[in-house]
Amino acid sequence: MNKLTSILVWVVIAIVGAIAFAALALGRGESVNAAWLVTAALSVYFIAYRFYSRYIAEQVLRLDDTRPTPAVRHNDGMDYVPTNKWVLYGHHFAAIAGAGPLVGPVLAAQMGFLPGTLWILAGVVVAGAVQDFIVLFASVRRDGKSLGEMIKMELGPAAGSLALVGVLAIMIIILAVLSLIVVKALTGSPWGLFTIAATIPIALAMGIYMRVIRPGRVGEASVFGVILLLASILYGRTVAADAVLGPLFTLTGTELAWALIIYGGIAASLPVWLMLAPRDYLSTFLKIGTVVALAIGIYVVAPPLAMPQTTRFIDGSGPVFSGSLFPFLFITIACGSVSGFHSLISSGTTPKMIEKESHMRFIGFGGMLAESFVAIMALSAACVLDPGIYFAMNAPAAAIGTTAANAAQVISGWGFTITPDMIEQTAKDIGETSILSRAGGAPTLAVGMAQILAKALGGKSMEAFWYHFAILFEALFILTAVDAGTRVGRFMIQDMLGHVYKPLGDTQFLPANVFATVLCVGAWGYFLYQGVVDPLGGINTLWQLFGVGNQMLAGIALLLCTSMLVKMKRQRYVWVTLVPTAWLLITTLTAGIEKIFHSDPKIGFIALANRFSTAAAQGTVLAPAKSIAEMQRVAFNNYLDAVVCALFVALVLAMCWYTFKICRQALRQTQPTAHEIPPMAPAQGAMA
Amino acid sequence: MNRLSSVPPGVPPRVFDGGNGSALATRMRALRRGWLQVFGIPDYERYLDHHAAHHPDDPVLSRREFFAKAIDRKYCRSGPRCC
Repeated sequence: MNKLTSILVWVVIAIVGAIAFAALALGRGESVNAAWLVTAALSVYFIAYRFYSRYIAEQVLRLDDTRPTPAVRHNDGMDYVPTNKWVLYGHHFAAIAGAGPLVGPVLAAQMGFLPGTLWILAGVVVAGAVQDFIVLFASVRRDGKSLGEMIKMELGPAAGSLALVGVLAIMIIILAVLSLIVVKALTGSPWGLFTIAATIPIALAMGIYMRVIRPGRVGEASVFGVILLLASILYGRTVAADAVLGPLFTLTGTELAWALIIYGGIAASLPVWLMLAPRDYLSTFLKIGTVVALAIGIYVVAPPLAMPQTTRFIDGSGPVFSGSLFPFLFITIACGSVSGFHSLISSGTTPKMIEKESHMRFIGFGGMLAESFVAIMALSAACVLDPGIYFAMNAPAAAIGTTAANAAQVISGWGFTITPDMIEQTAKDIGETSILSRAGGAPTLAVGMAQILAKALGGKSMEAFWYHFAILFEALFILTAVDAGTRVGRFMIQDMLGHVYKPLGDTQFLPANVFATVLCVGAWGYFLYQGVVDPLGGINTLWQLFGVGNQMLAGIALLLCTSMLVKMKRQRYVWVTLVPTAWLLITTLTAGIEKIFHSDPKIGFIALANRFSTAAAQGTVLAPAKSIAEMQRVAFNNYLDAVVCALFVALVLAMCWYTFKICRQALRQTQPTAHEIPPMAPAQGAMA
Repeated sequence: MNRLSSVPPGVPPRVFDGGNGSALATRMRALRRGWLQVFGIPDYERYLDHHAAHHPDDPVLSRREFFAKAIDRKYCRSGPRCC
């Protein structure tokens, strides 16, 4: 492409983007089409990739294809494999995309579509993609080391250990919140529960097939698996209507919580080939397939956005989560704009597969743009829904009651007109008995997706199928994450316990394994149970705790990147990481402190705990608690949440201090002091 | 957290080994490999190529052993996955 054409193309992209934004921001009174939202996002991604990521690659990091990557130096045909850039892009995307980008934007939709859209787009360009890219770069230049190891190398052993504690705490919270999403989606839904339960025997059968009957034939097993999954969705309708099976698969929230806790403990103890690996393949197929289908669906159907640009809930009084736009929007949408968890993936398997340094721009920066696009689609799907339906699904029972009539009255009072008939009809269309108070994002997104996909394929009669397909798609990878996450948590716990008492750290020693598994499941199970019985619906507490933790991890990763740039003597470019770090610290520290100390019991943990403990002392029982003992438990849980939140705040402040100290030292040096592998070092010399 | 243990010494870069047969066959093979890699499915043929090229004198794992080993490694010590 010659220079003139190139300029013309980018001018056109910029103009299309500007028109799309104008349509989004200026369309008053009439509804805006979701296709504009997606178009605006795509223009931002293309421009950011072409210009900003190039600047980072060429000026800031100075990627150098003559330096051999870990994949080239250690090529072993298994872990370290130089991989085609497009293939690795797909692999990296499949690893970073999870439930996060689907849930956060749906919850944030209560403030209207504009705040969420702007934060997703600004966040990904300035913070998220930059973090993923630079962490990937740091890891590739350090022989594929993990985030924890790199923090230890660059910021010292104390900082490294602190970071590991933080990562474990975030893992626990994330497992709890993911499980809570599944509980919220499946409570009182026999069709959904049957379909999800069916994935267990299907995965076991696939596992046995791939291991015993036809070893290594993943393709064949997956074809059978997908067919059986689709059959289970179709058969689920019959099960739900059955007089005997229907009630058997209709569970309450607490029953489901216990089922998940037991499932988590057993699943994480089975051999990986039996259930985890086959289900991981299934969920990855479904994940990529569904994301592509949704993208096509939005363009084909081009649905109008029913949600207004902004709603009155930007003042912090929203029913889905409490707290004002600043700082809570910025911790509610984490994945999609910036996610600390990605720093673990970018320093996990991906750096071991990079073929050339220059590929990191496409994979690190570009991969995150694709994840952000998923978040934009989730936001669109939620905003396509009638706002009345959206609030009926996401507001807790404490706010809207438990009947369609009551809910319709309350929600219409908020200014979103809805009738009980509409609520009941929506439930009927998707084959459920009720849609009320199904917070957590997954069901809302599933209804939005079902409406879009049904318009594109199959019509109204297929809506129930698509709804349960969407629930299955989300629950499948959440359950895989619960299984895999519990295992990783167990290893981390064993690692730490090994320092206290050696035999407990031995991963070959069965009692030690069981002990660590029980500890890990017990920890996330505790938070899950607490979320299920929470008076404000659980998501209000847990998702924000997760958001604070996840964004703090992003802050820590960006602090590492900052110190690395300074140590490389590239301090003139340090604003590239310092600007997002500062923003993350401002938002998360504010949110963290508000979550602990805010005087409104809907926001502050301590205020809520005090309210319950004071009432308990006076002998009054506050809903939903049914006894004084339950009241005291609610109070205790909220004090505990305050402690976890305080841990995150303390952790990030400590990391700031370490980074500051190290950067000051590095600035005094005349030579670069970063622990990079020298350009042509032999592989043996690389191991520390 | 990931461990880097028993990493063999560096070997020259090779992305797609082999290449016998027609252009179409090579292309199909590359497509298949890409597909497996995107989904993180262990690739036995790639392992065989690698083995033949770099460790011809060592014993070769059977398909079954290779899958058992690859899957255990992937899940037992891989880092946390995303939200």
